[in-house]
Amino acid sequence: MSLPPEFGDLVVLLPVVTLIVFAALTLLFGVFTRERAALGGLALTGVIASLVFNVFLWLEARAGGVAVTALGGAFRGDPLSYAFSFVILVGAGLALVLADGHRKRLELDQPELHPLLLLAASGGLVLVSAGDLVTLLLGLEIMSLAVYVLAAWRERSRVSEEAGMKYFLLGAFASAVLVYGIALTFGATGRFDFAGIAVAAAAPGFESLGLLLLGALFVLIGLAFKVAFVPFHQWLPDVYTGAPTPVTAFMSVVVKTAAFGALLRTTGTLVEALGVGPIGEVLPAVLAVLIGLTMVVGNFGALLQSGVKRMLAYSAVAHAGYVGLAVLAGGHAGLQAASYYLLTYTFTSVAAFAVLLSLMDDDDRGDRIERLAGLGRRRPWLAGALAVVMLSLAGFPPFAGFIGKAVVFQAAIAAGHAALAVLGIATAVVAVVFYARVVMTMYMREPDAHTAAARPMSRRTAVVLSIGLVATVVFGLFPGLWLDWIARAPWWSAGF
Amino acid sequence: MIAALMVLLPLAVALALPWAKRPAIHRPLAVLGVAATLALGVFATGGAGSLEIAWVPALGTWFAVDATGAGGVLARIAAAVMLPTVLWAGARVDDRPQVFLAWLLATLAGLVGIFLARDLVLFYVFWELTLLPALAMLAGWGLTHRRAATLKYLLYAVAGSFAMLISVLAVRPLSGAEGYRFDQLLAAAPLLDPLTQTWIFAGFAFAFAIKLPIFPLHAWLIDVHEQNHASGAADVAGTLYKVGGFGLFAWAMPLLPEGATALAPLGLALGAFTAIYAAMIATRHAHLKRALAYASLSHMGIVAVGLFSLHLAGQTGSMALLAAQMVTTGGMFLVSGMLHDRRGSFELEAFGGLARGAPALAAVTLVVLFASVGVPGLANFPGEFLALLGTYQSAPAAAVVAVLASIALGAFGVGLYQRLFQGEARERAQEIKPLEVAVFAPIVALTLWLGVAPAANLTVFEREAAAAQVAAAPITPPADAQASGGAR
Repeated sequence: MSLPPEFGDLVVLLPVVTLIVFAALTLLFGVFTRERAALGGLALTGVIASLVFNVFLWLEARAGGVAVTALGGAFRGDPLSYAFSFVILVGAGLALVLADGHRKRLELDQPELHPLLLLAASGGLVLVSAGDLVTLLLGLEIMSLAVYVLAAWRERSRVSEEAGMKYFLLGAFASAVLVYGIALTFGATGRFDFAGIAVAAAAPGFESLGLLLLGALFVLIGLAFKVAFVPFHQWLPDVYTGAPTPVTAFMSVVVKTAAFGALLRTTGTLVEALGVGPIGEVLPAVLAVLIGLTMVVGNFGALLQSGVKRMLAYSAVAHAGYVGLAVLAGGHAGLQAASYYLLTYTFTSVAAFAVLLSLMDDDDRGDRIERLAGLGRRRPWLAGALAVVMLSLAGFPPFAGFIGKAVVFQAAIAAGHAALAVLGIATAVVAVVFYARVVMTMYMREPDAHTAAARPMSRRTAVVLSIGLVATVVFGLFPGLWLDWIARAPWWSAGF
Repeated sequence: MIAALMVLLPLAVALALPWAKRPAIHRPLAVLGVAATLALGVFATGGAGSLEIAWVPALGTWFAVDATGAGGVLARIAAAVMLPTVLWAGARVDDRPQVFLAWLLATLAGLVGIFLARDLVLFYVFWELTLLPALAMLAGWGLTHRRAATLKYLLYAVAGSFAMLISVLAVRPLSGAEGYRFDQLLAAAPLLDPLTQTWIFAGFAFAFAIKLPIFPLHAWLIDVHEQNHASGAADVAGTLYKVGGFGLFAWAMPLLPEGATALAPLGLALGAFTAIYAAMIATRHAHLKRALAYASLSHMGIVAVGLFSLHLAGQTGSMALLAAQMVTTGGMFLVSGMLHDRRGSFELEAFGGLARGAPALAAVTLVVLFASVGVPGLANFPGEFLALLGTYQSAPAAAVVAVLASIALGAFGVGLYQRLFQGEARERAQEIKPLEVAVFAPIVALTLWLGVAPAANLTVFEREAAAAQVAAAPITPPADAQASGGAR
């Protein structure tokens, strides 16, 4: 049996297909069995299998040195898609185990939990591997629909339902803006695929530059909702706080990484297509303003929070601003910096939520910072772990968060955005205050009535926490493991 | 290779200490760790004294350390001062002593790293890393109002280091240097245009001014010293961590000569003002630790003046003064802990007449205190004299103010000694104890050695200062012309 040549190299679809197959399998088994633990194992097997395929394809692609496409260029295998898929799958696996460990306690125990997590991750893979704007939209919707449901997962919880509804309404609005932007871009260039847009815009006699700019701005705004750039971040604090904590962990790593992968590819293409004239300067300028606002609002917002979960939500906004610097820098340095930042953020963020989950009550509440008082003496290991996480998020060496900030700021400075990098550093000083507040509460305040009960940590949570911590330290001490790996990859620029 | 071990060994001991179950081995283990680091420092000469390994090729950073230069001298002195400090802290800290000792060892590892690093990113990593033990000792073992002091310290320190981070990350891409190693940067950074250099230098100078510290960025220092553990051990670590002067000398000034020239007038003015202002406050202060903190702040003003004189002798002297005050100011903080043992307070009015019960303690304190205020023949004098002499050549006005400050410091030393040891005693003080003798021995030995035979260290400092000026020479006016610019 042979396929028409325009189907291309279908093997590149393997990681996505694996996830979808396993999602279907867990759904089927969920109907017939009451044994949820087996479902968790099956789902994790799916993620790991997908990860194995991803790594295998990546290694093969490096040996070959050419970008692989499938389905007529709609689906790509290139450094961006492989690197971001890797990060997404790692984050999905860790968040999955975390959700599994707290499934019973937090009453998240419906059989559709695992299939939806897998589907959301598969949407993320499609999003970062999309070769055209329609596939990009498809991936975004696959991912988002699953996450809308997951955010409202806790039954009989008003905040969780509110979170799901809010996320759905604003997300749908963002998708509409994105679709409109895609339509305008198509109207200007007559193409959906990234390579085609760049070619059409570069062709002599191209007259619709203004229309293309309008389309690009709409696309940017649509994606800015998903990555939570200010002022399109309004949904995030409420959704992060209201969603079940394991789902929040999943969103903070998988959804964020996938959205940034798409943003990196899209802005890279559109900035190139718009050229260097006065019109071409608008898109980077708008992006720079959004990033500046994001860093400022995210960090100052986090400063004002009294709940750790909500503080982490605002800090997620702030970190989106830092990754945004890498997107703005673009090119190979941008890819390198953004993927490193997101990889290490994935490990650190999951570790943070692992600690948080072992401190919060069974009704998924109780994240007030006072509950951490005296933790340094009562739970030295847990406190030490949270301290490392906070230091890394604050950008202290030798943890990965420091190198992440360093590569991002260096990429921004090298690309001529020194002022924005200085603003980023200034806001990072603010960030140190609220991260330090967590550490100081643990070590410098006596335990009182508010202090969290000492619940033993489940084994699965401990595994996730250990992986997160070890990776935070190892990637901090040896950032070359990822950076040099990405740097040595040949850069296939066609279609970005 | 030995240079790398100097960093790794105290770090390993620091990591091992909290695990040691038997309390009896905590102090010996810590002392052994410091002594071994010092021994390594003595042997870290020639080829064994430096090491270069690629760390992150994609970023252009190296694990490059070198113990043969000015940094090596400072690292050895820091280890030598840490030895009595660990001995003292092990006996005086009752609450989780093994963890406190581990933080002291971690401080030493970080300091050695700062002094030996020959890669700018590595330097920054150690610079920032050393902050953690300083904060942990203050937060975990400090006095009643430590929360506010910790937060203040953290904010100042992080504001400074993040400003430096921007400069660190800007200097390579903007200059097009191949990597972050000192020699790679030195080949490219001094060629940057003066305006860019000034901006980058300003980022460094802001961080170094906070760590020096000099006015108006010194507010954290006084509170930190006041709130630190009463033994004074954490204060010694803090004194050793005043590495801003070294940062200017070893990194910012050689790499960005035009930036240094542009900002030298500001540095001279602030340094001279700090010197005189802090010395005046020190003479009038009624709290022993705060007074010592102000006195050491005054020294830092003189260090800054010497460095910003951009004169060979001034810079050499500043580094010698920095090295000497590690010993003398550190020694005085240990004395403060011993005095607190006897009177249970740091308020000067609780003291007086100690010499009657404890003449030997009075005598050794006199040596350390007088060394610290710059009496000839003792540790601080050669550096202070050279720094002032060099400054006078290029910036006479700043030198005159700084000389006045050193006179005020002399008055402070005599006054402090009188208030502590002379006059009527309310109760008989206990004479010096064997442990205290053991703590004093290395301090006094170093004080005498640095005072009587400063030549070896001065040669090293001068060689490095001269090398930096030569490297900057092809594109800048000769040193004298620069300096006269600084004297405006």
